[in-house]
Amino acid sequence: MTTMTQAAPSPWSITTRTIVYAAIGAAIYAVLNYLSFGIQVPWSQEVSIRPQYGVVTFVGFTFGPIAGFLTGFVGNTVGDQLAYQDGFGYWWWSVANGLAGFVAGLFPLWMASRMTSAGSKAVTAAVAGVVATVVGFLFIFVEMAILPESTFDVMLTLNYIPVVIVNSIAAAVVTPILVLAWEPLRDQLGR
Amino acid sequence: MRAAFRYLGRGSWLSGRDPRVLILAPLLLVVASSQLSDIRQLLVVVVLAYGYYSLARIPWHSVRAQWLYLLAVIGFYSLLNGLIAGGRVGVFAESEPHVLWTIPPFGWDITAEAISVAATRFVRVIALALVGFPIAFAMAPGDFGVALRRLGLPDRLAVMVDLTVRFIPTISDEFSDTVDAQRVRGYDPTARRGGPITRIRRMAPVFVPMTVGSLAGAEDTIDAMDLRAFGTGRRVWYRALHFEWMDWLVVGAFGTVVVTAMALNWAGLSEHYLLPFLVR
Repeated sequence: MTTMTQAAPSPWSITTRTIVYAAIGAAIYAVLNYLSFGIQVPWSQEVSIRPQYGVVTFVGFTFGPIAGFLTGFVGNTVGDQLAYQDGFGYWWWSVANGLAGFVAGLFPLWMASRMTSAGSKAVTAAVAGVVATVVGFLFIFVEMAILPESTFDVMLTLNYIPVVIVNSIAAAVVTPILVLAWEPLRDQLGR
Repeated sequence: MRAAFRYLGRGSWLSGRDPRVLILAPLLLVVASSQLSDIRQLLVVVVLAYGYYSLARIPWHSVRAQWLYLLAVIGFYSLLNGLIAGGRVGVFAESEPHVLWTIPPFGWDITAEAISVAATRFVRVIALALVGFPIAFAMAPGDFGVALRRLGLPDRLAVMVDLTVRFIPTISDEFSDTVDAQRVRGYDPTARRGGPITRIRRMAPVFVPMTVGSLAGAEDTIDAMDLRAFGTGRRVWYRALHFEWMDWLVVGAFGTVVVTAMALNWAGLSEHYLLPFLVR
């Protein structure tokens, strides 16, 4: 009997699968951003409740850091363009979303040996989502160098802390749910 | 509500421009507006941006909802949060604020500086929206990929953005179908009660099946692209783009705005401006 083995693609390569999964993730993120754009967080500067944020960390965690970054960055840009007709105005927020997806994608590379069961994978996904949010959204402080009216206090109290709290909750709740829902399908698809 | 880029400005002067112009214009204005803090200068930018916007001939009745949303909600939150921030930024940080009144239960001071800063932020958002609308409404959705490719983005990433734009109507329809299916099962998408966690949990029955279903269905797209040898060589785009002199003129005009804004900033001529009628 002849067997054929195929090496797993590097997590840093941009394959067709990376492109398509990232595009679908970005489209889901953009559409749900558009449909829920009205739920603002009180006492924050244009921070919205976005449960769909969990899709970014999920795509990063499941399909790799590149797919995660593209989902967050492109999804947020296109979603802002759909909702506010201003996809580029606050580009650093899009980069922050992308970085969160990227960081979430690093966890399976670091902790592959510890994810032996579906439960441990779900817990790791939740932790990855929260850590990715805390780290990725540090990038929004770039605003202080870009917009003159932004100060550290305003950025910290009215932007960073609200968005990290809201998105951490979304990531901690949604990412493991999506991971648990995706795993059986992944086995069926043979991926 | 269906999410999609609507080509409302079809046939307008701006829609006839190279699509790269419609992407470059807002990018350049983002740079320019970030250099300016003086609301009077930003109002000049708004006038220029409105001139550009009017060239897209986007019917008002079709985008009224978007504009009202932008003006009312974004404006309200910008102003509200600007007031809470206190306006102690830039040149106002060191000076004594002009307290106009105090909100009794909280003791918050509403200052002329805070209102001026909030108004500045609001005007900046309006300028960016004016040049952002044509991307959504005066650019053929099929042109995103090729335009980004010709702007220097790698083929694969340009295709990824192209796919994202193409998937949006499909995903939006899938969202509606999933909401309808869950509504039959007793799901109430209009419920507004509860805090953030409750709201997130309430949306889970919709976006979990939608996300997993969409990703599972992506295998057909992946196979179709692989069978056509996607990514094995240089990609050829069906749509050919030609940058004409008029396109250069538009980009040049926005480039001039950027250079002027940078010069004003570097010369220290664009500090926050205290609206005089607030302190009389």
